Amino acid sequence: MKMSSKMLSAQKLSKIENMGDESIPKGIENNRSESEWWDLEANSQSPVVSLRNLVIGYSSKDPLAEIPSLDIFPGEIVAIAGPSGIGKTTLLRTIAGIVRPISGDVRVCGFTSPSLPKRGQVGYIPQRLGLVRHATVMHNVLLGSNASHSPRLGIFSSRKAKNEAKSAIISMGLEEKINEPVRRLSGGQQRRVATARTLAQSPSLIMADEFLSELDEETMKVVLNKVTEFVRKSKSALLFVEHDISRAKSVADRLLVIDDGRVNPFITETTALEVST
Amino acid sequence: MRLTKQRIIGTLVATLVLSLLLVSSMVEDWGRLSDGPGNLIIFINESLWPPDWSVIEPQAYPVCTVYPLFDFTCSTAWIGMVETIKIAFASTVFGMIISLPISLLAARNLNPTWVSLPARLALSVCRSLPSIIWAIFFVILVGFGPFSGVLAMTVYTVGYLGKLQYEAIEGLSRTPLDASRAMGLSKIETALGVVIPESANELISQMIFMFEYNFRHGTVIGIVGAGGIGYYINLYLKFLQYDKVIAYLIIILVVVVIIDFFSIYARSFFNEEGDSRRPSWLDIFIPEILRR
Repeated sequence: MKMSSKMLSAQKLSKIENMGDESIPKGIENNRSESEWWDLEANSQSPVVSLRNLVIGYSSKDPLAEIPSLDIFPGEIVAIAGPSGIGKTTLLRTIAGIVRPISGDVRVCGFTSPSLPKRGQVGYIPQRLGLVRHATVMHNVLLGSNASHSPRLGIFSSRKAKNEAKSAIISMGLEEKINEPVRRLSGGQQRRVATARTLAQSPSLIMADEFLSELDEETMKVVLNKVTEFVRKSKSALLFVEHDISRAKSVADRLLVIDDGRVNPFITETTALEVST
Repeated sequence: MRLTKQRIIGTLVATLVLSLLLVSSMVEDWGRLSDGPGNLIIFINESLWPPDWSVIEPQAYPVCTVYPLFDFTCSTAWIGMVETIKIAFASTVFGMIISLPISLLAARNLNPTWVSLPARLALSVCRSLPSIIWAIFFVILVGFGPFSGVLAMTVYTVGYLGKLQYEAIEGLSRTPLDASRAMGLSKIETALGVVIPESANELISQMIFMFEYNFRHGTVIGIVGAGGIGYYINLYLKFLQYDKVIAYLIIILVVVVIIDFFSIYARSFFNEEGDSRRPSWLDIFIPEILRR
């Protein structure tokens, strides 16, 4: 049973690798040179995320996935793909410290689970965004603002925090909606608010679950460019779940495919470089 | 077990039969009930009806000095009613202020069991005694008058409103809480920045409901000397002046209906989407079928 599903997944993977890039919007291609890839592999910096012998899931009797070893380095963009219900979101939630690992080690920004990273080091965009729907765009983005020692509470926030939040909102093209309650925005606009919240946070690690869905092509390009630019400039890392494999390949430095199974390691690594050759 | 139509109907019928059997076991002589309606009619005709509207006339003492058109404000009905509204308002506000932090602690999605359980226990204790019993305690503690009424209603409000609040908080979507946890928001930041704004509609709606509830109960606590219109109702009950009592009850009914209408209007500002059309006063006072 497991073998057959594995074979199916292998078939899917080969299909993925043979896929054309027609679905990739122009302007968001991965432009890394081969030498840059080698630089990345030879990265001597300590990883932002380091997973060892990790077993994830909600019950030890029914683990969802096993990750023997994974390191994500500063400035790296990593995509996670795989079928529904395989544990992609659970992996993000485990790294974010929301779900406890069944076993194994999770080290994020130098803090080993169950210790959590410092305030603001991790930015998380859940699939359903996690916005405060009844609050304004500004309030939501201020929650992410990482201005030092400022309470992240709307009117009580410092001027610096408000300015940071405002520039993040403007960068997402939402300046006209700044005082609108989030519930009145469209799905795509809400997604941009969640991204602005994370950018205002200036985190060392951004984790995003399907953060490009519901966006039109033009907006997707803007959002993606802003996020990748932030990641490259600030040497933070981006780990995102993406169901559209071709898009994931075009954006990410590495694509992790979580495959079916429990006992054997089934996280495979591929790179955009491998795909292009 | 699979829910089938037969099982659902069977369960409902069995529950109804059980309830009827329980009632039947409590009534010794069904024949005795046959005189009931006749007795009620006699009571209404001889003692209750017509109401004695002297309760809205100014009292003899202290002498009323207001403009004659407004001299009803010197009546026991007006004085009692205003006092009851004051008690209900103050106790709702104090109850809300005290219950909100406790309900934030009691919510299981925000705190571990060792924090939420004692908070829930505290709310249960406040709720387990009806407000009239709390009123008896506070009358003994601080003496007769509306202050003991405010204290009694506040304690009850904390228990009742706190339960509604933590249930609303526990019903919140998990994702904003997940995001705030991952972002490293403190407990206070999460409570003030995420939980309260996200559940504000329900919290405000519940507070308005609680004001209504406290007003209705504020009419009862006066019976034990805790102020309000209940004091006068109790007074006339003791003198068997039921025609005055029914006049007070009619006034209470009218005020409750008016508060209910205000409540519908006020709550419409805090409905789920907040963008739907607010009812006009005409919508509230005249049923839709009559407006066609």
